[in-house]
Amino acid sequence: MARQNVTIHTTRPSDTKPTPEDPSWAMVIDLQKCVGCDSCTVACKAENRTPPGVSYNVVVEEETGTYPNVRRVNLPRPCMQCDVPPCVSVCPVNATYKNSDGVVVIDAERCIGCRYCITACPYGARSFDFGGTYSDEMQGYTDVQSPEYGVQRGKRGSYTPPVGTVRKCTFCTHRTARGEEPACCETCIGDARYFGDLNDPNSVVSQLAASPRAFRLREELGTEPRVWYLR
Amino acid sequence: MSTASRARGIPTTSPQRSHWWSRDPNTAPFLNPRARTIWYAVLMLALAVGSWGLYNRVFGGLATTDLTSTMPWGAWVAFYIYFVGLSAGAFLVSSLIYVFGMHQFERIGRAALLSAIVSMGVALCFIGADLGRMERAPITLLFFHWTSPLSWEVRFYTLYIALLIAELVVAIRLQKRLVRSVEAAHRTMRILGTIGVPLAIFGVHGGTGTIFAVVKARAMWAGGLFPVIFVISAMVSGTALLMAVHYWQARGAGRVPDRALIRNLSTVLLAAIFIDLGLTFYEFIVPLLAFEHHDQSIIMLQAFGPYAWTFWIVQMFMGLLLPAAIILSPLKKRTGALVAAAMICVIGIIGVRFNIVVPPLIPPVIEGYPTGDYFPTITEWLLSVFFIAGGALVYSLVSEWQPIHEPDPDDHAAIAADAGMPDAELRTEQETI
Repeated sequence: MARQNVTIHTTRPSDTKPTPEDPSWAMVIDLQKCVGCDSCTVACKAENRTPPGVSYNVVVEEETGTYPNVRRVNLPRPCMQCDVPPCVSVCPVNATYKNSDGVVVIDAERCIGCRYCITACPYGARSFDFGGTYSDEMQGYTDVQSPEYGVQRGKRGSYTPPVGTVRKCTFCTHRTARGEEPACCETCIGDARYFGDLNDPNSVVSQLAASPRAFRLREELGTEPRVWYLR
Repeated sequence: MSTASRARGIPTTSPQRSHWWSRDPNTAPFLNPRARTIWYAVLMLALAVGSWGLYNRVFGGLATTDLTSTMPWGAWVAFYIYFVGLSAGAFLVSSLIYVFGMHQFERIGRAALLSAIVSMGVALCFIGADLGRMERAPITLLFFHWTSPLSWEVRFYTLYIALLIAELVVAIRLQKRLVRSVEAAHRTMRILGTIGVPLAIFGVHGGTGTIFAVVKARAMWAGGLFPVIFVISAMVSGTALLMAVHYWQARGAGRVPDRALIRNLSTVLLAAIFIDLGLTFYEFIVPLLAFEHHDQSIIMLQAFGPYAWTFWIVQMFMGLLLPAAIILSPLKKRTGALVAAAMICVIGIIGVRFNIVVPPLIPPVIEGYPTGDYFPTITEWLLSVFFIAGGALVYSLVSEWQPIHEPDPDDHAAIAADAGMPDAELRTEQETI
């Protein structure tokens, strides 16, 4: 397939408020269906070509109880795209902000790399790009970067943004802009991830988020995550 | 001495110096030749060694540090808050003189202001080096985000440095009797100092504490006590620093350190240490008795983790308990012992700053994540040496150039003590002149 040039319209919070026409992206992850295969993590790394030490998506494997009464939970963790994002409120230069579609985005051209947002994120969903590369183990790794936010960045240099800035899961804005699902949802072998528009009351995510099985991570912090889990 | 001040009848009281190294007869030497050679040699060596760290940082980026996305902040942030604290503490001591009229500290006034400026500069170097994209540091002044304490801090720091420089310039002009009216200059100092006190307490250092206190994701940072502890421990380190600076500069210049001044400063230091100990007690006892498990895990880490020695030995023993014990013991009669207490304290507070930054980042935010692990790399240490030596160099050069450590021209007793002659003799000499 030919590479598409996609323009993503990110609107700074001061510019416009979300309109009813804007989608309001959310994700629901069914923990009963997740088998812990990590394919979402791999798909995310491949899609976003994230460097070593940067993973937008991880799967936390948690084992509780003592044998034989053991419970194991695989907890896939993308960015929660919080509605009250602590990372956004601490950014000194407004480099990270809530987009009108509900996704928390980062302006790599403005981020100063102070990493305050990383300390502030209660979900550990942000990573700093130290400039690492897989070129030792993968041919042509630096030849092209993912068109995050629709920006074609070309080759990955040793000190060109996003190197030296903070990076995070964006629900694959470059994919959603052309009507595709985030890479992690598309690749999930157990169909454990659902992605959709909260503004549409009939969407799967709207319905599942209202399920009695639904919960959100560290809800006591009041961050209002946009990722629901089904227990 | 300007003709204007002569005409106004302000006494020209500075003693004439016969030392060959003194360029300006009104300015005492910063250091005598031997001490100067040793001091600058040490600084040059430190800068030379430290420049390797600078080279690594500039060309290797933050990958040369031990920082990761799990441990996003480390030694440089700790040193940054340490030097902001030294600055705020030194400035608050100067405000005792210029705002609250405690003239027993007059002798240290300009040194306090210069220390505050230089410490702030060093702090900004540290946090600048810690930025992923150093070249974008100036845009922090361009874009403002009102919910971010860091965004406010950048503005407070700028204001604070401008105010400190203005105050130091007036103080130096007053010292050189270049001002049109001594009273007006004193009033200006009082006004600047009065603006500076809330700026230093709430803006600069309380604000730096707020950077951490608003992070609800990290236990032991979040909370209202944090900014207060920041200010008090700033007072501890700033006072201790000034005691050490005064003592060693006087010794280096071949003068007798002002014993009364050091004793008075040690009283301030002791008071600050006691308040700090009290606040530290509350900081730990409240989460322990509330069984806040996130806080408890960090307290356990501080008290019994791999770097527990930094908490017990550096922070508690060197930073607070030992200096307090020395100041309270019969040793307090010896100036040298008080200065030793101050120097131990200055180093100990580094432990306080490290324990603020590092341990709360170690426990994973979500169970199942990797645990943080951090120890500064050689590059981080060397660059720290470079910045600290650079700050000491700037301080020394300004002290060489301007009268920073000289006693006030009206303080006859101090001048007499300095010149090694009895007060009466000096006065007679001046009258003759």
